[in-house]
Amino acid sequence: MKTQAKLRDKKEILLALDPLVKEWFFSHFKEFSLPQLYGVMPICERKNILISAPTGGTKTLTAFLSIINYLIILARKNELENKVYCVYISPLKALSNDIFVNLEKPLKEIKELAKKKKIKLQNIRVAVRTGDTATKAKSDMLRKPPHILITTPESFAIILTTKKFIEKFSTVEYIILDEIHALACNKRGTHLNLSVERLEELSNIAPVRIGLSATIAPIEEIAKYLVGYAKQDDKWKEKNCLVADVNFVKKMDLKSLSPISDLIDTTAKEMQQGLYSLLDELIQKHNTSLIFTNTRSATERVINHLKEMFPKNYQAVEETIGAHHSSLSKALRFKIEQQLREGKLKAVVTSTSLELGIDIGYVDLVILLGSPKSVARVLQRTGRAGHRIHNISKGRLVVLDRDDLVECSVMLKEALEKKIDKIQIPTCCLDVLAQQIYGMAIQKKWNVEELLNLIRKSYCYHDLSREDFLSVLSYLAGEYSGLETKHVYGKIWYDLKTGELGKRGRLARMIYMTNIGTIPEESFVTVVIAYPKDRKEEKIGFIDEAFLERLKKGDVFVLGGYKYQFLYSKGMKAYVNASVIRPPTIPSWFSEMLPLSFDLAMAIQHFRKLIDDLFRKNKSEREIKKFINSYLYLDKRAINAIYNYFYEQYHYAKIPHESKLLLERYKDENDKSYVIFHSLYGRRVNDALSRAVAYIAGKHGRRDIEIGINDNGFFLASYSPMQVEKALKLLSEKPEALKEILEQAIERTEVFKRRFRHCATRSLMILRRYKGEGKSVGKQQLKSHFLLAAVKKISQDFPILRETRREILEDLMDIKNATEILKRIKDGKIKTEVIYNDIPSPFSFNLITQGHADLLKIESKIEFLKRMHQKILEKISQKMD
Amino acid sequence: MKILTRMEIKRKALWFPKKKILIIADLHLGYEEALNEQGIMIPRQMFKQIKKELQDLLKLNPKIIIINGDLKHEFGQISRQEWSEATGILDLLLKKCKVILIKGNHDTILGQIAKKKNLDIVDFYCFDDICVLHGHKVLLDKKIYDSKILVIGHQHPAISIREGIKSEKYKCFLVGKWKRKNLVVMPSFFTIFEGSDIRNEKLMSPYLDERKIGSFEIFILGENNKIYRFGKLKHIK
Repeated sequence: MKTQAKLRDKKEILLALDPLVKEWFFSHFKEFSLPQLYGVMPICERKNILISAPTGGTKTLTAFLSIINYLIILARKNELENKVYCVYISPLKALSNDIFVNLEKPLKEIKELAKKKKIKLQNIRVAVRTGDTATKAKSDMLRKPPHILITTPESFAIILTTKKFIEKFSTVEYIILDEIHALACNKRGTHLNLSVERLEELSNIAPVRIGLSATIAPIEEIAKYLVGYAKQDDKWKEKNCLVADVNFVKKMDLKSLSPISDLIDTTAKEMQQGLYSLLDELIQKHNTSLIFTNTRSATERVINHLKEMFPKNYQAVEETIGAHHSSLSKALRFKIEQQLREGKLKAVVTSTSLELGIDIGYVDLVILLGSPKSVARVLQRTGRAGHRIHNISKGRLVVLDRDDLVECSVMLKEALEKKIDKIQIPTCCLDVLAQQIYGMAIQKKWNVEELLNLIRKSYCYHDLSREDFLSVLSYLAGEYSGLETKHVYGKIWYDLKTGELGKRGRLARMIYMTNIGTIPEESFVTVVIAYPKDRKEEKIGFIDEAFLERLKKGDVFVLGGYKYQFLYSKGMKAYVNASVIRPPTIPSWFSEMLPLSFDLAMAIQHFRKLIDDLFRKNKSEREIKKFINSYLYLDKRAINAIYNYFYEQYHYAKIPHESKLLLERYKDENDKSYVIFHSLYGRRVNDALSRAVAYIAGKHGRRDIEIGINDNGFFLASYSPMQVEKALKLLSEKPEALKEILEQAIERTEVFKRRFRHCATRSLMILRRYKGEGKSVGKQQLKSHFLLAAVKKISQDFPILRETRREILEDLMDIKNATEILKRIKDGKIKTEVIYNDIPSPFSFNLITQGHADLLKIESKIEFLKRMHQKILEKISQKMD
Repeated sequence: MKILTRMEIKRKALWFPKKKILIIADLHLGYEEALNEQGIMIPRQMFKQIKKELQDLLKLNPKIIIINGDLKHEFGQISRQEWSEATGILDLLLKKCKVILIKGNHDTILGQIAKKKNLDIVDFYCFDDICVLHGHKVLLDKKIYDSKILVIGHQHPAISIREGIKSEKYKCFLVGKWKRKNLVVMPSFFTIFEGSDIRNEKLMSPYLDERKIGSFEIFILGENNKIYRFGKLKHIK
């Protein structure tokens, strides 16, 4: 049950605070912040609360103020015990250290205050425990447990199986989950969700749950995620949770900017010149700018161009610009963070690594290069500007083409109107469950029913079926291996008669501690020519494993300026064919690119519909532009660009939108047929739909169908005729069959092989570290190939196999919304229309050319676009005559 | 399927109907345990599968079974799984016929097991003008020199067949020449994976030469134990 938190009276808080804490607080702050006015009292009153506020919104202090206050009151009375009062968990190690510093300081200052006033205070201890914590510090913690423990999800799970530490958890009173928005949407969050229930089980009192989150939706679900369920009189009930949504108070100044006046009738040089001049102008006008690019390589590119074009501004005696992304070393990133805090940098360019709440000092402008693909993300990123909650967040979205312009404009509308796109929380992940049950079995002996009850208290596992639960137990008990060798595979023993289970083997704790975690290890993949004449392996270069995962047999990609066709992989090697004529089908940045959120996609589709209606009603140019102006928050230049874009699409072809799915057929100069689906549903939905359509069309005809996808649609291409319309019809007649079809379609793919390894590692079927030896990712992958074959022989329903399929369909792709789209087609809410064109329509330009983008220099891509555009304009004018 | 007039391919084995001799190679018992030791918790299915396949082959009523090397997997030691499975397989075979153990490169310490079963381990075994040896090194012996046909294992030959962009790997027999003798290369009997691709991967046996491998004839073991003659390797696309 979720209730809106109330704005509390300042006096109430003042009454609740210890005089020392009060004095300390007002020596640093003039007033309570909004999150504090909402949050401090409920925590004092021991109510679960989710606080959602923009970054820099003093969320953390809100959570800690009541807790510090409580501990100070106890310390004054000499009632502080040797136990953990509060557990704070954040997803980032770096953040843990920040928090530690931010807690130590006030505690120290309060202590000094007390000393001055000759008040005796017990010492309040704070400690950090992460993977980096030294053994000595860990054993100190056992002797003198910290009153506030700061940790990460992984270290937390380890502590939960450490007998001596568990005793200190006997009466935990508070648990704080920070940056929930970054956890809830992935398996780390699933894992943590269950750990929290385990903590509550250990504690004699139910700790108050405090969740801290940046802007996120659906907030009700996140609140449920935070508190979980309770069983009362044999019935499950949602637990109570207050929600303080303080997002509306932060003022925003957001705009999208186009570097040049005409995004299509331009040259590459003009585009480049315009872009960097704009960037330089923005940077120079502000004190410190944070620039987000969508890929790591773009990060470096932007810095190089700025330095080259404006040497005076960026290549003076001291560096004034720096890069910060996940491929850089820890030390380098730390240096940049430090320089940022000291205000030494004019600008930092980053991909995603500075999204989370590491303290970066004062930033007065956030620039986003290209669409950030979701409303929540645009708010999170721009929220990095304007440190305090009362400051204005200033954000500029620099658009790079016409699709980007439409996307960013609609995104800004949604952001300003606070329509946040919804995240999906993975549920019932069997691999994480296996890892957790193993941990629980190490902790103590369990009764099966008791265990299942505990698991179902967790939001992520509330709907876990008994069948799935038992299948994981049976896997963990090694039952799949047959009786004789059960002792080798059994991680737990499980007695059917007594219904009891426990850990098996002396190495259990060691195995658990060294293999725990949910983030897959990834590494680079070597690209090698297959079937070389002289059998000497020729290395071409490297690609990311995440990129390999996206490759389908026959896909063509570009590496080092040359084209290669992907054939197969073995371990960490990708075998390719170097003599390909086909154009590239997949851009090299594909795996890094964040997918467009479904809700935002639908908002853009809705906008398309509104514009289409106006054109169909023969409204004048002035009227349509007037509408765009009233609907979106744009300047004249952008309105013109959007109008022209839609005008061309309307007169040359048709405008696809929320109730019209356009299928566009055309043949290229080599007589290859393309079917372009204008399915603006985001890449995760398109991934599912395109594979399913290609699979069915391939089954009924030739197999060599090429697929290209992006957020705005997908295409299938082949030299032989494809029965694509029929395939789509079959799919939409039975939307619920999509799952089965996709399961078949992904069975032998690269992504399946990789994800199986990840799931097998999470469920500890593959041990990364065993008997003192670590295994390289390559070795894990190579051996997991045997494992996959063996597991398939046991059963197609083996829990780890099923989890692999679930992860691909639900987390990587978006089968839920893909099914929803098919249903809408079935119900006639979405009508499909097929059109035939000689030249692809303007809305499909980006999709058709994305594969080429790596090969063609940016100049020739723009040239190509210009040429096509010219042809289309000619056609339109002929039609109008 | 008959090859070189006197012998037949029976599943993964070679069968000499007149002499009633059956040859199998490269069982690598204990492979799963070796993986387990590395932390890959692969279930043990191989013993059961191999036993089943051998029971089917024993219906041919062979007089002699030659195990052409690498009965077990681990170098340097005998694991628990290897001990029990190797004795299990030998017991199964010895009930029906004579067993000849040929030494493979993984069999450095097979002696103890052999001794227990009263078996000798030999480097090679000849009958008629045929000589059976593992093939990890070239052996110099007059008997081998005088023979006309060599049968080796060790290579674990397999081949990937492509159809469009789809490709599947199959175990296969290779039949060709070494010097002036006929050479038969057997696939592995082991079930965990098919083997190494002879077109793509490094050749392991000194009896095979990359420049000449193209003229070897390929016999592919398809599903349901069907054997397909694919002609010379160089003609396969």
